[in-house]
Amino acid sequence: MNGSNIRKLIMLLAFLVIAGFAAAEFLDLRHYKETVVVSEAFTEKRMLSEWLPNLKNTWGDTPVYFYDSGKPGATVLIYGGAHPYEPAGSLAVYVIMENLKLNNGRVILVPRADMSASTQGIVGHAYPQYLHIPTSWGQKVYRIGDRETAPLDQWPDPFTYVHYPSGQNLAYQDLRNFNRTFPGRPNGTLTERMSYAFMELIRNEKVDLTIDFHEASLMYPVVDTYVAHQRAEDLAFMAAMLCQAEMPMRSEVSPKNLRGLTHREVGDYSETLCVLVETAEPFIDRVVGRVTEQLMIDGKDEFLQRAAEKGLLYTDYDINNAQTIDTRVGRLLTSAIELINVFNMMYPDRAIDLWFPRYTDIITNGMGYYLHNPDEAVPSRVFLN
Amino acid sequence: MVFLQEVIRHIYFAMTAFFGLLLLRGLFKRDTRKSLIYDIVYAYTIIPFLLRALHIR
Repeated sequence: MNGSNIRKLIMLLAFLVIAGFAAAEFLDLRHYKETVVVSEAFTEKRMLSEWLPNLKNTWGDTPVYFYDSGKPGATVLIYGGAHPYEPAGSLAVYVIMENLKLNNGRVILVPRADMSASTQGIVGHAYPQYLHIPTSWGQKVYRIGDRETAPLDQWPDPFTYVHYPSGQNLAYQDLRNFNRTFPGRPNGTLTERMSYAFMELIRNEKVDLTIDFHEASLMYPVVDTYVAHQRAEDLAFMAAMLCQAEMPMRSEVSPKNLRGLTHREVGDYSETLCVLVETAEPFIDRVVGRVTEQLMIDGKDEFLQRAAEKGLLYTDYDINNAQTIDTRVGRLLTSAIELINVFNMMYPDRAIDLWFPRYTDIITNGMGYYLHNPDEAVPSRVFLN
Repeated sequence: MVFLQEVIRHIYFAMTAFFGLLLLRGLFKRDTRKSLIYDIVYAYTIIPFLLRALHIR
């Protein structure tokens, strides 16, 4: 072997070592399991593939947690993680799962709507992979994940994504976007099948109210807002008014020509009242500085502050009182509670009586206060997700 | 249709491995651009193909 080849071999080995370190981190995230201690109201864990069997043994399958009081009342579906890089949605669902008290009716909870997307980080910008939430007994660790279904599980992307069934052209990567593929189809791409399975879950379980947790960039007009299907317009509008006691909240109706989103398609293709909730995430705006786990937790960014001072944001932002992860989770929780309260007022024959922490509770005690130690819990109530 | 999609997906993984091997060959056997900088370019360009072909990223 001549000197040139030895040099090339050394080069190759050096990059393989670097690739090895990267691969170890990627694989760790891909297979990491989050721990949840379900509350005493929990009754049954099922898998999404029960509503579409061809999802079984794919990364599109995800656990669905049932809390059934056995007494008459509404069925409410709350899910987070449609876009895992908006982690407050999943965290809010986990807080509900660990603390829900239910007197009547039924609650269905899905913390990781797009499981695949939560197992791969965002490409570029050195995004953090995990979120560590402090508690009195230690830390609980959650995946941050990406916006779209992992390319490992759905590949290649098309040149243009033609939404089914509307035929509307969307951005190519949105074929892997769980919140652009509704109502889905049973023989479509993995993400379309996941959306279809959710539709089947909603239709077969006769879900009365569907709440979809999201986060949004502060430069996006739809932030700190309910987006409701027109049948849920009154519901969301009144809930937004009730939210004002704790926090500012807006409401708007789903545009009829914006296809593929839950608040449009779930409402069109099922009987449920569907509302999507957006809270402000000072992390995913393009103008922010280093995208670290600390920024995800405390929301403090000097560039966002400058953008706020120049009037470029669609919600209030103050670096000294920024939207922390606790604030954002709390907002989503109160948003859901007020939707349910208004639902109870509008449909008293199907009213549901439940309790889980709200914004004020989370701000007062911290989110960690509501996350329980799996080592001290009854094993039958501990799940890996 | 689901089956066909799976076939196409696996073909893409196979193509990734093929192009990774082409780059590996290019690293060791090429007639032009023989400088050190191209050794580096070929060596690091292999990484994403390797990670994708192994279903890691």
